[in-house]
Formats: sequence, C-alpha cells, structure tokens
Amino acid sequence: MADLEVKLGPLTLKNPVLAAAGTFGFGEEYASFFPLEKLGALVVNGLTLKPRAGNPPPRIVETPAGMLNAIGLQNPGLKGFLEQELPRLQAGRVAIIVNIAGENEEEYITLAQELSAVPGILALEVNLSCPNVKQGGLQFGTDAANIGSLVARIRRVTDLPLIVKLSPNVTDIAELARAAENSGADILSLVNTLQGMVIDIAARRPFLGNITGGLSGPAIRPVAVRMVYEVYRAVRLPLIGMGGIMQVHDALQFMLAGAGAVAVGTANFVEPCTIPRLIDDLHAFLNTAGLSSLREIVGAAHH
Amino acid sequence: MLFKACVESVEELARHSYYLLLREPQLAAQSRPGQFLHIRIGESLVPFLRRPFSLAGACPQRGTLEVIFRLAGEGTAILSRVKKGAVLNCLGPLGRGFQFSASRLPAVLLAGGAGVAPLLFLARALVGKKRRVALFYGAASRDDLLPLKRLLPRETAVHLATDDGSSGYQGRVTDLFAGAVRQGMQPVELYACGPRPMLQVLTKKNEAWNFPLQLSLEERMACGLGACQGCAVSIRQGEKSTYRMVCSDGPVFAAQEVEW
Ligand SMILES: Cc1cc2nc3c(=O)[nH]c(=O)nc-3n(C[C@H](O)[C@H](O)[C@H](O)COP(=O)(O)OP(=O)(O)OC[C@H]3O[C@@H](n4cnc5c(N)ncnc54)[C@H](O)[C@@H]3O)c2cc1C
Ligand SMILES: Cc1cc2nc3c(=O)[nH]c(=O)nc-3n(C[C@H](O)[C@H](O)[C@H](O)COP(=O)(O)O)c2cc1C
Ligand code: FES
Repeated sequence: MADLEVKLGPLTLKNPVLAAAGTFGFGEEYASFFPLEKLGALVVNGLTLKPRAGNPPPRIVETPAGMLNAIGLQNPGLKGFLEQELPRLQAGRVAIIVNIAGENEEEYITLAQELSAVPGILALEVNLSCPNVKQGGLQFGTDAANIGSLVARIRRVTDLPLIVKLSPNVTDIAELARAAENSGADILSLVNTLQGMVIDIAARRPFLGNITGGLSGPAIRPVAVRMVYEVYRAVRLPLIGMGGIMQVHDALQFMLAGAGAVAVGTANFVEPCTIPRLIDDLHAFLNTAGLSSLREIVGAAHH
Repeated sequence: MLFKACVESVEELARHSYYLLLREPQLAAQSRPGQFLHIRIGESLVPFLRRPFSLAGACPQRGTLEVIFRLAGEGTAILSRVKKGAVLNCLGPLGRGFQFSASRLPAVLLAGGAGVAPLLFLARALVGKKRRVALFYGAASRDDLLPLKRLLPRETAVHLATDDGSSGYQGRVTDLFAGAVRQGMQPVELYACGPRPMLQVLTKKNEAWNFPLQLSLEERMACGLGACQGCAVSIRQGEKSTYRMVCSDGPVFAAQEVEW
C-alpha cells in the first residue's frame, strides 16, 4: 500500500496536500464538507499581531482562469486567534500551520515568539509577500538582505519548523530563496499571488477598492511551476509548491519540479472538496504507477 | 451543502430574463427566502468561479427550486443554454435570508430588475403566513417585466414602474412607492432587492419614513461560504464600522446598518 506521509526537513505530514493560507479561513466553513483532519495541514488565515479590518470593497474580481484578491489580511489578531479559533481546531485534531505577517520586523518577532509558546502548532509560515498591505510583507519580501535579517531574527526566537513563503513579484526568486536558506529557514513555500489589476471600463478606474490585487488560480500555474523548478536548483531546502492546483496532474507537475508537498488555494472556492479528492487521486496515482512513495518523483524533472 | 441538482426546464420569461427550474429534494427542503445558490458553470476554467443566484422559490413537496436570472455575461449566457436533464453543481442554500418578524404589519416588497427574484420567494412565504403583501416592481421597459401572474400568489397587490413608461408608472420604483407613502400609507415592513443606487435612494428616503427595512445585497463572491472574506460590506455597529460578509452574514442586512 502506498504511503502519502511526507517529511519536509523537521516537519512530518500525513499527506502532502495543504490548504493554502487565506483561502481556507480557520477551517470552520469547510468542516461541513469533510473532516479537517484529512488535510496534510491547514495553513490558517494570515495572522497579524493586532486585529485587521481589511481593505475596502470590492475585494475580488474574476479573471480568465483565476481571480484577483485584495482582502488586506482581515483577521482577528493573535489574541482573537488563540481564544476563538485555535481551541476548536485542536479539538478537531487538525494539523495547524500558522501563517504570520507583520507591519514591521518587531511584529513578526513577537508573533513568532508568542506562537512558539502555544502547544499544538505544527509550524510557522512567514508571509513575506502579501502585496495587499501597505506596510506589510511585500517590502520585506522583495529584498534579499531584508529577508535574510528578518528570517535570522525569527529563527532565534522559535524552535518550530520555520517555513518562509516567497513572493513571485521579483526578478530573481532563487536569490531570495538562498537568503532564506542561509538565515535558518527549514522549508520554503512558493508562490504567493502575482500582482495584477483589472480596470472597470464603464467607471474608467481600477475595479478593486485597493486598486491592485493578487492573481491566483490556474492562470498563474506555469509561472509557479517554473519558480519551484528554479528554487529547487538553488537551495537544498524542502519546498511546498502552490499556484493554481486544481487536480492531481497539476500537483504532480509541482512535485516533479521539486516540491515535496503542495498547497491548494483558490480551487477550494470553486470546489470545496478539492483537497480530499486530490489526496485520494495521489493515492491512486502511486498505486497505478507502482510507486511506494512520492519521494520517487520529487524533483524528477531535473534528472 | 453540495448538491447535484437536475435541470427540469429553462425558459426565457422576458427579454434577457430566464427561469430555471431545478430538482433536488433535500436542497428544496432546506431553502428559505433570501438564501442563494452558488452554481458552478460547467467544468472548464472559464468561467472560473461559481455564480451566485438568489432562490426565487423552493417547493419541499415537489422537491424543486426556482432561479430567475438576467443575462449579464459569459456565465449567465452559458446557463441560459443548459438543457433539461443536465446536472448543475450547486452549493446551497447559502446565506441567512430574510428575517420574519412577529409583526402583523403589511409587507411591501420593492424590486428593481433582476432583484425581484428573492422577493417572489418571500412574497409566497409571507402570503402563506397570512400577511398582506404588496410588490412594487420596476424595470427599464415593458419587455423586461417578468410575467408576475404565474410567479406570485393571487393575493399579492402589484404596482409597476418602468423607466420609459411603457407599462405602469413612468419613473423609478422608489418614486412610485414614495408617492404611495405621501398619499397616507399606514406603517409597513419593507423588503428590497435591486441595483445598488436604488437601495441607496430607498435607504435615504426611509430615514424620514422610518419603516423597518431589510435589503438583499450583492457583492463579488469567490467561496460563497465566508472563508475568503472577499464579499465584504461595511456595517455600522454603534459608533464603529466593521466588515461583514455578504455571503455568510447576509445577503440580507438591515438598511440602517449598511454603510455605502
Ligand atoms: C447573493 C446574490 C444573489 C444574486 N441573485 C441573482 C438573481 O436572482 N438573478 C440574477 O439575475 N442575478 C443575481 N445575482 C447577480 C449574478 O450573480 C450575476 O449577474 C452573475 O454572477 C453574472 O455572471 P456572468 O458570468 O453572466 O457575468 P460577468 O459579468 O461576466 O461575471 C464576471 C464575474 O463578476 C461576477 N458578477 C457580475 N455581476 C455580479 C453581480 N451583480 N453580483 C455579484 N457578482 C457579479 C460574476 O459572478 C463573475 O465572478 C446575484 C448576486 C448575488 C451576490
Ligand atoms: C483570497 C486569498 C487570500 C489569501 N491570503 C493569504 C494570506 O493571508 N497569507 C498568505 O501567505 N497567502 C495568502 N494567499 C495566497 C495563497 O495562499 C496562495 O499562495 C496563492 O493563492 C496561490 O495558490 P492558488 O493559485 O492555489 O490560490 C491568499 C490567496 C487568496 C486567493
Ligand atoms: S464569497 Fe468568500 S467570504 Fe463571501
């Protein structure tokens, strides 16, 4: 019987399919569709130290084979998460990874420190690349020196597996990946959304309240696969690949390019049961291909 | 929540307006006025997201659901061409729907264009509760008006308005109703659905009338479940405002709490 368990550095997951940050809330909305303990892990809604109200509407707009979003990290803040969301997730035996974003370096450090003291969190994912918050991740996430110093500081305050999530809105993603690796990251995840814009021709102005938004969905998949491929060659760290995964053959592209695990985001909006079906289909794929583990295909496109 | 609903019929009811009859007994049994379906349009990547449509009716006895939609773009065009016997992938019933108060006040329903759909379901429910119901219904022109006779209980009083005066009052449905109030309408409960400018005007006018007023809102949606936080509307809470989700906290909101 094929086994879907994966090891990503210090992190062991029962299967390699994660729910991507910001697309699955804190799980509650999807719990009526399937048991959340099926998830390889749930990367919860991006968390900031203080509650954030988010951006003015409209916040989303459909695009060909994808969508733009400018949610603006609406979230209940650290305290709200610990009090209102975490207990329910722990009771449901959900594998939890917390995605954090700061308005400055200090906030990242405080979040990492406080979350490390909380039992039942599997790993931290540092969002360096949210394009929708003015003071937020993006400015950290596009400069290798910034990434290096921030990741090094977070590394000093946490023993949790440290995932660094990279922005695709850069000229050379491999350079950023190396900076994160050299500063103590355990795992890299990629990609976050690509910056984009839709213009309302009747109103003659940008459609989104925030003017720009992050593009996600199948429209970005080839860009994301290429970036996973490049980063796999540049670093030795395990990778979590994402960007437009809807079906098993999409996930396999990422794995062949070098991702040890994958995350599903926008597809959850189209089909709430995308993740459990993907897990079943990966099982079926291994059995049909006569493979005992996905390890045999991770990075195989490089050989 | 996730259902495969069978298409019983699709027909063009008025210019660019379609009536879709679906069968899915469990879904029909759970559906309430003001709730909506989030329908996947085919399996391909364009159109990509699901499309939200209010329920225009649900009959638990027959196991059927009604949707009435206007052509707006690619998704509704494809939906207008589905065939009897086709299966539609539907999330629903979503949202919280209209609140029914214990009051015996007559109900007045104000509809602009395709916004009439959820109010048809509501009218039937209110008539079923023995409430007096009047529908004020506005559209661009006579050809855009749905044939209400077959869609509404006989007891409903209907007042029509068209922008070009080709049928009923010439002008806006909100002005038609304002005229009725000026002529000494007794207190009523108001329910409205329609284009945003109509709902804004109505809310403004109602500051003077002060009738209880519920609005069914629209906003761009992705998940439809409250997870993506994409369909935000600003809601007043005392001195403060907060964002609420049209899909899961609405789509129906009390008019006085909505910040436009
Ligand atoms: C809660 C709710 C209930 C609705 N009920 C009805 C109904 O009963 N009858 C009816 O005719 N229409 C209704 N609408 C509007 C309907 O969802 C849109 O007309 C439809 O999504 C347009 O799809 P399209 O592909 O034809 O148009 P396009 O313009 O090509 O759609 C592009 C994108 O914009 C979105 N979009 C376009 N117009 C709207 C809109 N007004 N509101 C929200 N999203 C929009 C689409 O969903 C899609 O993601 C409702 C909307 C909401 C939010
Ligand atoms: C509505 C929405 C909200 C998101 N919020 C976050 C977030 O808070 N933090 C983060 O790191 N990524 C966030 N993302 C990015 C996703 O986690 C993912 O990296 C990206 O959408 C690409 O994957 P996909 O194409 O499968 O959606 C968000 C994406 C969407 C669509
Ligand atoms: S559409 Fe996702 S929260 Fe409303």
